[in-house]
Amino acid sequence: MILVSLSAYSYDWSVVPRSMPVLAQGLLFTLQISILSLTFSLILGLGVALCRLSPFKPLSFLAFGYIQIFRALSLYVYILLLYFGLAAVIGIKLNPLGASVTSLTLLNAAYMAEIYRAAIGGVDHGQWEAATSLGLSQIGSFFAVVLPQAFRIAVPSLMNQLVDIIKDSSIVAVIAASDLMYNTIQLNGFYNRPFELYFTTGLIYLAVVAIVSQLAVGFERRLKRHLA
Amino acid sequence: MLGASLDVWMTIIGFALACAIGLIVAVMRLSGLGALAVPAYIYIQIMRGIPLYVFLLLVYYGLATISGLAFSPIQAMIVTLALTGSGYTAEIFRGGIEAVDRGHVEAAHSLGMGNWSTFRDVVFPQTVRLVVPPLGNTLVGLFKGATIASVIAVPDMVFLAMDVNTTFFRPFEAFGAVAVILVVTVVLFSIAITGVERVARLP
Repeated sequence: MILVSLSAYSYDWSVVPRSMPVLAQGLLFTLQISILSLTFSLILGLGVALCRLSPFKPLSFLAFGYIQIFRALSLYVYILLLYFGLAAVIGIKLNPLGASVTSLTLLNAAYMAEIYRAAIGGVDHGQWEAATSLGLSQIGSFFAVVLPQAFRIAVPSLMNQLVDIIKDSSIVAVIAASDLMYNTIQLNGFYNRPFELYFTTGLIYLAVVAIVSQLAVGFERRLKRHLA
Repeated sequence: MLGASLDVWMTIIGFALACAIGLIVAVMRLSGLGALAVPAYIYIQIMRGIPLYVFLLLVYYGLATISGLAFSPIQAMIVTLALTGSGYTAEIFRGGIEAVDRGHVEAAHSLGMGNWSTFRDVVFPQTVRLVVPPLGNTLVGLFKGATIASVIAVPDMVFLAMDVNTTFFRPFEAFGAVAVILVVTVVLFSIAITGVERVARLP
Protein backbone atom coordinates (compact mmCIF):
# COMPACT_ATOMS: atom_id res chain seq x y z
CA MET A 1 0.00 0.00 0.00
CA ILE A 2 2.70 2.41 1.05
CA LEU A 3 4.93 1.35 -1.81
CA VAL A 4 2.16 1.89 -4.31
CA SER A 5 1.52 5.40 -3.12
CA LEU A 6 5.26 6.10 -2.94
CA SER A 7 5.57 5.56 -6.66
CA ALA A 8 2.33 7.41 -7.26
CA TYR A 9 3.69 10.60 -5.80
CA SER A 10 5.36 12.75 -8.39
CA TYR A 11 8.25 14.63 -6.86
CA ASP A 12 8.78 18.16 -7.99
CA TRP A 13 12.32 19.05 -7.07
CA SER A 14 12.19 22.14 -9.27
CA VAL A 15 10.84 24.05 -6.26
CA VAL A 16 14.22 23.65 -4.59
CA PRO A 17 16.34 25.75 -7.00
CA ARG A 18 13.53 28.29 -7.14
CA SER A 19 13.55 28.49 -3.35
CA MET A 20 17.30 28.81 -2.99
CA PRO A 21 17.55 32.62 -2.78
CA VAL A 22 14.97 32.74 0.03
CA LEU A 23 16.57 29.77 1.82
CA ALA A 24 19.99 31.41 1.55
CA GLN A 25 18.59 34.56 3.10
CA GLY A 26 17.14 32.50 5.93
CA LEU A 27 20.42 30.66 6.43
CA LEU A 28 22.22 33.97 6.72
CA PHE A 29 19.79 35.07 9.42
CA THR A 30 20.18 31.73 11.23
CA LEU A 31 23.97 32.07 11.22
CA GLN A 32 23.70 35.68 12.32
CA ILE A 33 21.57 34.95 15.39
CA SER A 34 23.64 31.84 16.18
CA ILE A 35 26.93 33.70 16.18
CA LEU A 36 25.52 36.66 18.12
CA SER A 37 24.04 34.30 20.72
CA LEU A 38 27.28 32.33 20.91
CA THR A 39 29.30 35.47 21.58
CA PHE A 40 26.93 36.84 24.21
CA SER A 41 26.43 33.51 25.95
CA LEU A 42 30.21 32.91 26.08
CA ILE A 43 30.52 36.14 28.06
CA LEU A 44 27.39 35.75 30.17
CA GLY A 45 28.18 32.09 30.84
CA LEU A 46 31.60 33.01 32.18
CA GLY A 47 30.00 35.60 34.45
CA VAL A 48 27.51 33.05 35.76
CA ALA A 49 30.27 30.47 36.29
CA LEU A 50 32.32 32.99 38.27
CA CYS A 51 29.30 33.82 40.44
CA ARG A 52 28.65 30.11 40.92
CA LEU A 53 32.24 29.57 42.11
CA SER A 54 32.41 32.70 44.24
CA PRO A 55 32.75 32.10 47.97
CA PHE A 56 29.95 34.62 48.55
CA LYS A 57 27.01 32.28 49.25
CA PRO A 58 23.99 34.32 48.04
CA LEU A 59 25.69 35.02 44.71
CA SER A 60 26.64 31.39 44.26
CA PHE A 61 23.10 30.33 45.10
CA LEU A 62 21.61 32.77 42.59
CA ALA A 63 23.90 31.44 39.89
CA PHE A 64 22.94 27.89 40.83
CA GLY A 65 19.25 28.79 40.48
CA TYR A 66 19.87 30.47 37.15
CA ILE A 67 21.68 27.41 35.79
CA GLN A 68 19.03 24.96 37.00
CA ILE A 69 16.08 26.97 35.70
CA PHE A 70 17.51 27.84 32.30
CA ARG A 71 18.74 24.33 31.68
CA ALA A 72 15.28 22.97 32.42
CA LEU A 73 13.39 25.33 30.11
CA SER A 74 12.90 24.49 26.48
CA LEU A 75 13.67 27.27 24.03
CA TYR A 76 10.16 27.04 22.62
CA VAL A 77 8.45 27.74 25.93
CA TYR A 78 10.99 30.37 26.87
CA ILE A 79 10.71 32.27 23.62
CA LEU A 80 6.90 32.33 23.89
CA LEU A 81 7.21 33.64 27.43
CA LEU A 82 9.75 36.25 26.46
CA TYR A 83 8.17 37.42 23.23
CA PHE A 84 4.48 37.39 24.15
CA GLY A 85 4.53 37.28 27.95
CA LEU A 86 7.04 40.00 28.66
CA ALA A 87 5.49 42.26 26.07
CA ALA A 88 2.14 42.03 27.82
CA VAL A 89 3.50 42.49 31.35
CA ILE A 90 6.05 45.27 31.14
CA GLY A 91 5.41 46.54 27.65
CA ILE A 92 8.83 45.59 26.33
CA LYS A 93 8.16 44.63 22.74
CA LEU A 94 11.23 42.91 21.43
CA ASN A 95 11.56 42.50 17.70
CA PRO A 96 11.93 38.89 16.54
CA LEU A 97 15.70 39.28 16.12
CA GLY A 98 16.12 40.68 19.64
CA ALA A 99 13.87 38.04 21.19
CA SER A 100 15.70 35.25 19.35
CA VAL A 101 19.16 36.37 20.38
CA THR A 102 18.09 37.14 23.96
CA SER A 103 16.44 33.77 24.52
CA LEU A 104 19.21 31.77 22.86
CA THR A 105 21.79 33.70 24.89
CA LEU A 106 20.07 33.31 28.25
CA LEU A 107 19.44 29.59 27.78
CA ASN A 108 22.87 28.74 26.45
CA ALA A 109 24.69 30.81 29.06
CA ALA A 110 23.44 28.30 31.62
CA TYR A 111 25.06 25.42 29.69
CA MET A 112 28.20 27.46 29.09
CA ALA A 113 28.43 28.23 32.82
CA GLU A 114 28.48 24.52 33.60
CA ILE A 115 31.14 23.91 30.93
CA TYR A 116 33.31 26.69 32.35
CA ARG A 117 32.79 25.42 35.88
CA ALA A 118 33.87 21.90 34.96
CA ALA A 119 36.88 23.28 33.08
CA ILE A 120 37.96 25.48 35.99
CA GLY A 121 37.62 22.45 38.23
CA GLY A 122 39.72 20.51 35.73
CA VAL A 123 42.75 22.76 36.14
CA ASP A 124 45.31 21.11 38.37
CA HIS A 125 45.19 22.45 41.92
CA GLY A 126 48.98 22.70 41.93
CA GLN A 127 48.68 25.57 39.47
CA TRP A 128 46.78 27.58 42.10
CA GLU A 129 49.36 26.83 44.73
CA ALA A 130 52.24 27.65 42.42
CA ALA A 131 50.65 30.95 41.41
CA THR A 132 49.93 32.06 44.96
CA SER A 133 53.36 30.99 46.16
CA LEU A 134 54.83 33.21 43.43
CA GLY A 135 53.10 36.09 45.16
CA LEU A 136 50.05 36.44 42.90
CA SER A 137 46.85 37.37 44.67
CA GLN A 138 43.83 35.05 44.58
CA ILE A 139 42.21 37.10 41.85
CA GLY A 140 45.46 37.53 39.98
CA SER A 141 46.23 33.83 39.93
CA PHE A 142 42.70 33.08 38.82
CA PHE A 143 42.74 35.40 35.83
CA ALA A 144 46.39 35.02 34.84
CA VAL A 145 46.94 31.31 35.48
CA VAL A 146 43.79 29.26 35.96
CA LEU A 147 41.33 30.85 33.56
CA PRO A 148 43.51 30.65 30.41
CA GLN A 149 44.06 26.95 31.04
CA ALA A 150 40.40 26.38 31.81
CA PHE A 151 39.47 28.06 28.58
CA ARG A 152 41.58 25.60 26.62
CA ILE A 153 39.92 22.68 28.36
CA ALA A 154 36.51 24.15 27.65
CA VAL A 155 36.95 24.93 23.94
CA PRO A 156 35.73 21.59 22.49
CA SER A 157 32.57 21.62 24.60
CA LEU A 158 31.96 25.27 23.85
CA MET A 159 32.23 24.60 20.11
CA ASN A 160 29.76 21.74 20.46
CA GLN A 161 27.43 24.19 22.10
CA LEU A 162 27.49 26.20 18.87
CA VAL A 163 26.06 23.16 17.07
CA ASP A 164 23.22 23.06 19.60
CA ILE A 165 22.62 26.79 19.19
CA ILE A 166 22.34 26.47 15.41
CA LYS A 167 19.93 23.55 15.69
CA ASP A 168 17.89 25.20 18.44
CA SER A 169 17.71 28.44 16.52
CA SER A 170 15.24 26.80 14.12
CA ILE A 171 12.62 27.28 16.82
CA VAL A 172 12.69 31.07 16.50
CA ALA A 173 10.54 30.53 13.40
CA VAL A 174 7.54 30.35 15.76
CA ILE A 175 7.81 34.07 16.47
CA ALA A 176 8.17 34.87 12.77
CA ALA A 177 11.89 35.62 12.86
CA SER A 178 12.81 35.08 9.23
CA ASP A 179 15.40 32.36 9.77
CA LEU A 180 16.01 29.32 7.57
CA MET A 181 13.13 27.38 9.15
CA TYR A 182 10.63 30.22 8.93
CA ASN A 183 11.47 30.86 5.29
CA THR A 184 11.01 27.17 4.56
CA ILE A 185 7.58 27.18 6.17
CA GLN A 186 6.64 30.26 4.15
CA LEU A 187 7.89 28.66 0.94
CA ASN A 188 5.87 25.57 1.71
CA GLY A 189 2.81 27.76 2.10
CA PHE A 190 3.49 28.99 -1.40
CA TYR A 191 4.52 25.81 -3.23
CA ASN A 192 2.86 23.19 -1.00
CA ARG A 193 5.78 20.77 -1.41
CA PRO A 194 6.48 19.84 2.21
CA PHE A 195 8.68 16.82 1.55
CA GLU A 196 10.98 18.46 -0.96
CA LEU A 197 11.33 21.67 1.03
CA TYR A 198 11.78 20.26 4.56
CA PHE A 199 14.12 17.63 3.19
CA THR A 200 16.28 20.32 1.61
CA THR A 201 16.27 22.42 4.76
CA GLY A 202 17.21 19.34 6.76
CA LEU A 203 20.18 18.82 4.44
CA ILE A 204 21.24 22.46 4.81
CA TYR A 205 21.21 22.21 8.61
CA LEU A 206 23.07 18.93 8.38
CA ALA A 207 25.75 20.49 6.18
CA VAL A 208 26.16 23.50 8.47
CA VAL A 209 26.41 21.28 11.54
CA ALA A 210 28.97 19.05 9.80
CA ILE A 211 31.09 22.06 8.84
CA VAL A 212 30.99 23.51 12.34
CA SER A 213 31.92 20.14 13.86
CA GLN A 214 34.86 19.86 11.48
CA LEU A 215 36.00 23.36 12.40
CA ALA A 216 35.72 22.40 16.07
CA VAL A 217 37.88 19.32 15.53
CA GLY A 218 40.49 21.36 13.65
CA PHE A 219 40.49 24.09 16.27
CA GLU A 220 40.90 21.55 19.04
CA ARG A 221 43.81 19.93 17.24
CA ARG A 222 45.55 23.28 16.87
CA LEU A 223 45.14 24.02 20.55
CA LYS A 224 46.57 20.61 21.43
CA ARG A 225 49.56 21.16 19.21
CA HIS A 226 50.08 24.54 20.83
CA LEU A 227 50.06 22.95 24.25
CA ALA A 228 52.39 20.09 23.39
CA MET B 1 -1.97 19.44 33.94
CA LEU B 2 -3.65 17.23 31.38
CA GLY B 3 -1.43 18.79 28.75
CA ALA B 4 1.70 18.18 30.80
CA SER B 5 0.89 14.48 31.22
CA LEU B 6 0.58 14.19 27.44
CA ASP B 7 4.07 15.67 27.09
CA VAL B 8 5.39 13.21 29.65
CA TRP B 9 3.78 10.24 27.90
CA MET B 10 5.05 11.20 24.48
CA THR B 11 8.51 11.62 25.98
CA ILE B 12 8.51 8.26 27.72
CA ILE B 13 7.30 6.32 24.68
CA GLY B 14 9.68 8.21 22.39
CA PHE B 15 12.55 7.61 24.80
CA ALA B 16 11.86 3.88 25.07
CA LEU B 17 11.83 3.56 21.28
CA ALA B 18 14.95 5.72 21.02
CA CYS B 19 16.76 3.39 23.44
CA ALA B 20 15.75 0.30 21.48
CA ILE B 21 16.75 1.78 18.11
CA GLY B 22 19.89 3.32 19.59
CA LEU B 23 21.07 0.00 21.00
CA ILE B 24 20.62 -1.73 17.65
CA VAL B 25 22.43 1.07 15.82
CA ALA B 26 25.26 1.03 18.37
CA VAL B 27 25.74 -2.70 17.92
CA MET B 28 25.74 -2.24 14.14
CA ARG B 29 28.29 0.54 14.46
CA LEU B 30 30.57 -1.69 16.54
CA SER B 31 29.98 -4.85 14.52
CA GLY B 32 33.22 -4.46 12.59
CA LEU B 33 31.33 -5.12 9.35
CA GLY B 34 31.59 -2.15 7.03
CA ALA B 35 28.22 -2.89 5.49
CA LEU B 36 26.57 -2.39 8.90
CA ALA B 37 28.90 0.12 10.51
CA VAL B 38 28.87 2.71 7.71
CA PRO B 39 25.07 3.02 7.45
CA ALA B 40 24.92 3.18 11.26
CA TYR B 41 27.48 5.99 11.30
CA ILE B 42 25.58 7.94 8.64
CA TYR B 43 22.31 7.36 10.49
CA ILE B 44 23.76 8.77 13.70
CA GLN B 45 25.16 11.85 11.96
CA ILE B 46 21.86 12.57 10.23
CA MET B 47 19.74 12.13 13.35
CA ARG B 48 22.04 14.33 15.39
CA GLY B 49 22.42 16.98 12.71
CA ILE B 50 18.83 17.83 11.84
CA PRO B 51 16.90 20.11 14.19
CA LEU B 52 13.91 18.52 15.91
CA TYR B 53 11.54 21.13 14.49
CA VAL B 54 12.60 20.49 10.88
CA PHE B 55 12.42 16.75 11.43
CA LEU B 56 8.95 16.97 12.96
CA LEU B 57 7.52 18.85 9.99
CA LEU B 58 9.28 16.50 7.60
CA VAL B 59 7.70 13.51 9.32
CA TYR B 60 4.27 15.06 9.76
CA TYR B 61 3.76 16.88 6.45
CA GLY B 62 6.53 15.52 4.23
CA LEU B 63 5.98 11.80 4.74
CA ALA B 64 2.23 12.21 4.51
CA THR B 65 2.43 13.77 1.05
CA ILE B 66 4.93 11.38 -0.49
CA SER B 67 3.71 8.10 0.95
CA GLY B 68 0.20 8.65 2.20
CA LEU B 69 1.55 7.45 5.54
CA ALA B 70 -0.42 9.94 7.58
CA PHE B 71 0.58 10.01 11.23
CA SER B 72 -1.65 11.61 13.79
CA PRO B 73 0.06 14.62 15.39
CA ILE B 74 0.88 12.65 18.54
CA GLN B 75 2.29 9.73 16.54
CA ALA B 76 4.39 12.11 14.46
CA MET B 77 5.83 13.68 17.61
CA ILE B 78 6.65 10.27 19.11
CA VAL B 79 8.29 9.08 15.88
CA THR B 80 10.34 12.27 15.73
CA LEU B 81 11.45 11.96 19.35
CA ALA B 82 12.31 8.29 18.84
CA LEU B 83 14.37 8.89 15.68
CA THR B 84 16.24 12.03 16.72
CA GLY B 85 16.75 10.60 20.20
CA SER B 86 18.13 7.35 18.79
CA GLY B 87 21.09 9.22 17.26
CA TYR B 88 22.12 10.28 20.74
CA THR B 89 21.30 7.00 22.51
CA ALA B 90 23.30 5.09 19.87
CA GLU B 91 26.40 7.10 20.70
CA ILE B 92 25.78 6.65 24.42
CA PHE B 93 25.42 2.88 24.08
CA ARG B 94 28.52 2.77 21.89
CA GLY B 95 30.50 4.60 24.57
CA GLY B 96 29.07 2.28 27.22
CA ILE B 97 29.89 -0.89 25.29
CA GLU B 98 33.41 0.32 24.45
CA ALA B 99 34.05 1.20 28.09
CA VAL B 100 33.62 -2.43 29.16
CA ASP B 101 37.06 -3.92 29.66
CA ARG B 102 38.24 -6.00 26.66
CA GLY B 103 39.48 -8.59 29.10
CA HIS B 104 35.91 -9.44 30.09
CA VAL B 105 35.09 -10.34 26.48
CA GLU B 106 38.24 -12.41 26.20
CA ALA B 107 37.52 -14.13 29.49
CA ALA B 108 33.98 -14.96 28.37
CA HIS B 109 35.23 -16.31 25.05
CA SER B 110 37.84 -18.44 26.75
CA LEU B 111 35.10 -19.86 28.99
CA GLY B 112 33.47 -21.08 25.79
CA MET B 113 30.67 -18.50 25.64
CA GLY B 114 29.46 -17.56 22.19
CA ASN B 115 29.35 -14.01 20.85
CA TRP B 116 25.67 -13.50 21.64
CA SER B 117 25.88 -14.93 25.11
CA THR B 118 29.01 -12.87 25.82
CA PHE B 119 27.19 -9.72 24.82
CA ARG B 120 23.99 -10.54 26.67
CA ASP B 121 25.44 -11.92 29.89
CA VAL B 122 28.77 -10.15 30.26
CA VAL B 123 29.01 -6.90 28.28
CA PHE B 124 25.44 -5.60 28.29
CA PRO B 125 24.79 -5.73 32.05
CA GLN B 126 27.92 -3.64 32.59
CA THR B 127 26.98 -1.27 29.80
CA VAL B 128 23.57 -0.59 31.33
CA ARG B 129 25.17 0.66 34.53
CA LEU B 130 27.45 3.01 32.64
CA VAL B 131 24.82 4.53 30.39
CA VAL B 132 22.22 5.52 32.99
CA PRO B 133 23.47 9.08 33.67
CA PRO B 134 23.88 10.12 30.00
CA LEU B 135 20.60 8.46 29.05
CA GLY B 136 18.98 10.51 31.79
CA ASN B 137 20.24 13.66 30.09
CA THR B 138 18.78 12.46 26.81
CA LEU B 139 15.44 11.82 28.49
CA VAL B 140 15.35 15.38 29.82
CA GLY B 141 16.38 16.67 26.40
CA LEU B 142 13.57 14.76 24.72
CA PHE B 143 11.08 16.08 27.25
CA LYS B 144 12.10 19.62 26.44
CA GLY B 145 11.90 18.74 22.75
CA ALA B 146 8.39 17.34 23.19
CA THR B 147 7.08 20.79 24.11
CA ILE B 148 7.40 21.79 20.46
CA ALA B 149 4.53 19.40 19.63
CA SER B 150 2.02 22.25 19.68
CA VAL B 151 3.27 23.45 16.28
CA ILE B 152 1.45 20.48 14.74
CA ALA B 153 -1.54 20.99 17.04
CA VAL B 154 -0.87 18.27 19.61
CA PRO B 155 -3.02 19.43 22.55
CA ASP B 156 -0.08 19.45 24.97
CA MET B 157 0.57 21.97 27.73
CA VAL B 158 1.96 24.67 25.44
CA PHE B 159 -1.01 24.30 23.12
CA LEU B 160 -3.40 24.65 26.04
CA ALA B 161 -1.47 27.67 27.25
CA MET B 162 -1.87 29.25 23.82
CA ASP B 163 -5.57 28.50 24.07
CA VAL B 164 -5.76 30.15 27.47
CA ASN B 165 -3.83 33.07 26.07
CA THR B 166 -6.18 33.62 23.16
CA THR B 167 -9.19 33.43 25.46
CA PHE B 168 -7.99 35.67 28.29
CA PHE B 169 -5.07 37.47 26.65
CA ARG B 170 -2.80 36.69 29.58
CA PRO B 171 0.38 35.52 27.82
CA PHE B 172 2.73 35.97 30.75
CA GLU B 173 0.59 33.98 33.18
CA ALA B 174 -0.18 31.27 30.61
CA PHE B 175 3.37 30.69 29.40
CA GLY B 176 4.82 31.36 32.84
CA ALA B 177 2.71 28.52 34.23
CA VAL B 178 4.01 26.24 31.48
CA ALA B 179 7.57 27.26 32.30
CA VAL B 180 7.04 26.42 35.97
CA ILE B 181 5.51 23.03 35.11
CA LEU B 182 8.45 22.37 32.79
CA VAL B 183 11.07 23.17 35.41
CA VAL B 184 9.28 21.15 38.10
CA THR B 185 8.89 18.15 35.79
CA VAL B 186 12.55 18.28 34.80
CA VAL B 187 13.50 18.35 38.48
CA LEU B 188 11.25 15.34 39.10
CA PHE B 189 12.85 13.53 36.16
CA SER B 190 16.29 14.31 37.58
CA ILE B 191 15.32 12.93 40.98
CA ALA B 192 14.00 9.76 39.33
CA ILE B 193 17.20 9.40 37.30
CA THR B 194 19.35 9.81 40.42
CA GLY B 195 17.27 7.06 42.01
CA VAL B 196 17.87 4.74 39.06
CA GLU B 197 21.57 5.61 39.13
CA ARG B 198 21.76 4.61 42.78
CA VAL B 199 20.08 1.27 42.07
CA ALA B 200 22.25 0.63 39.01
CA ARG B 201 25.53 1.55 40.65
CA LEU B 202 28.00 -1.28 41.07
CA PRO B 203 27.82 -2.75 44.56
